[in-house]
Amino acid sequence: MLPVERVIGEEGLTATPAGARLAMRLPWYRSLPFSTVEVGGLSIDGAVVDLSGALVEYDGNRWPLAQLGEQTNAFWFVRDSAFLVLPDVSVTAGSQHDVALTVNVNPPYIPGMKRTNPQVATLTVN
Amino acid sequence: MTNPTGPQMGVTLYSFTNEWLTRQFELPGLMREVARRNLGPNIEIIGFQNFKEFPDVSDDFAAQFKDLIAETGLNPVSCAINSDRFLKPGQQPIDDASLIEYHKRQLRSAKKMGFSLVRYQFALPVELLPEIAPYAEDIGIRMGVEVHAPMWAGHPAVQAYAEMYDKLNTPVLGWIPDFGGTASRIPESMLNAARAAGAAESLLDKLKEVWLEPGMSHEKAGRLREWALANGHAPLHIQSASLAFFILSNNDPKSWAALVDRTIHIHGKFYGVGEDLVEEAIDYATILPLFRDGGFTGTIVSEWEGHAYCTVDAFEQVERHQAMCRKILAG
Repeated sequence: MLPVERVIGEEGLTATPAGARLAMRLPWYRSLPFSTVEVGGLSIDGAVVDLSGALVEYDGNRWPLAQLGEQTNAFWFVRDSAFLVLPDVSVTAGSQHDVALTVNVNPPYIPGMKRTNPQVATLTVN
Repeated sequence: MTNPTGPQMGVTLYSFTNEWLTRQFELPGLMREVARRNLGPNIEIIGFQNFKEFPDVSDDFAAQFKDLIAETGLNPVSCAINSDRFLKPGQQPIDDASLIEYHKRQLRSAKKMGFSLVRYQFALPVELLPEIAPYAEDIGIRMGVEVHAPMWAGHPAVQAYAEMYDKLNTPVLGWIPDFGGTASRIPESMLNAARAAGAAESLLDKLKEVWLEPGMSHEKAGRLREWALANGHAPLHIQSASLAFFILSNNDPKSWAALVDRTIHIHGKFYGVGEDLVEEAIDYATILPLFRDGGFTGTIVSEWEGHAYCTVDAFEQVERHQAMCRKILAG
């Protein structure tokens, strides 16, 4: 997998009191407004995760995933991870899980272009 | 040796996208490495790639960046800015006033950090240039629109810009040719990457055929997609192959001659330079003399884009590219 295709972040999957927290990388060569990024889907151990209550955390900000499309002036620095917080998913530190994450990007200067970026990884929960 | 009054060499940090995304370097370390390897002194930086505070860089960050420039001896020639009009996918572009302000924010940041010009994009509607060019004049920074594939000198959008440039008649506006618009073939390294990802030879044969056909890039990409889906190719293989339509076009390399006079900076786009100092896809021996003999004295930044599909050593590629350019320019 090319660096520019990576969507699962180096910080991996973490168990927190508020649910599971998954690191995401932006699969593009430059920073983009969060409004142009979509989480295309997430499965853990083969089961599709309901993302309706998911949140996105980045640099001290936190937005409902469903409202990510409104964040036209919040930029995801391409070198940083953003975090998908899953309040309804419980994981245990030390356990292993197969994670399949898809992140789509719609570059804001190339109308009509959408890139779909799936990645599958086996992660040990932090 | 490069004639000191002719084209100067440099590098865009975009060449090191793989090293950047994998966190091998922070910005100071990357700039020190570029200086240590003598790949400058002239550099281009994409604001939205290497500056976390972009598009609104603080005074503190700008001061730190200037210290780094002084330490490394690099010369901040070009800051690439973006014309992000489509902030909500599938919806209308942002309004003109917002787009103008978006450009001014980036121009201010580039100036504050000491860049002498910005790269901007055709996504900026040409009729908005009269609102932005006077601002660039006021703060003292030049703007070069990047003539990037699928654009080339004969493209209608380039002609519309040329008319506006004539009308505004200001030295702050110019062209930044990107040689990917006049590639002579799809680089073999790109085809090899698609093969390694599992793309069938029949898909690549069709890609090479459609890439040479007339038409707009997105139309050609659509044509390949339609054929490939009907013939059982996987969507991800099609997406991988379609990259060629968006970063490379096969227009006449000699067509750059029409733009030399207003060229203020050049993207020396390349995909793979071998030990023989020949680039795989772009015919540098035809292109570079046009600019040298036409009196271009700005910077050619080496822009390795093989990172879009492979992970070979970018530093070695840039060293070879600069050696190739110097050899051709001296010839």
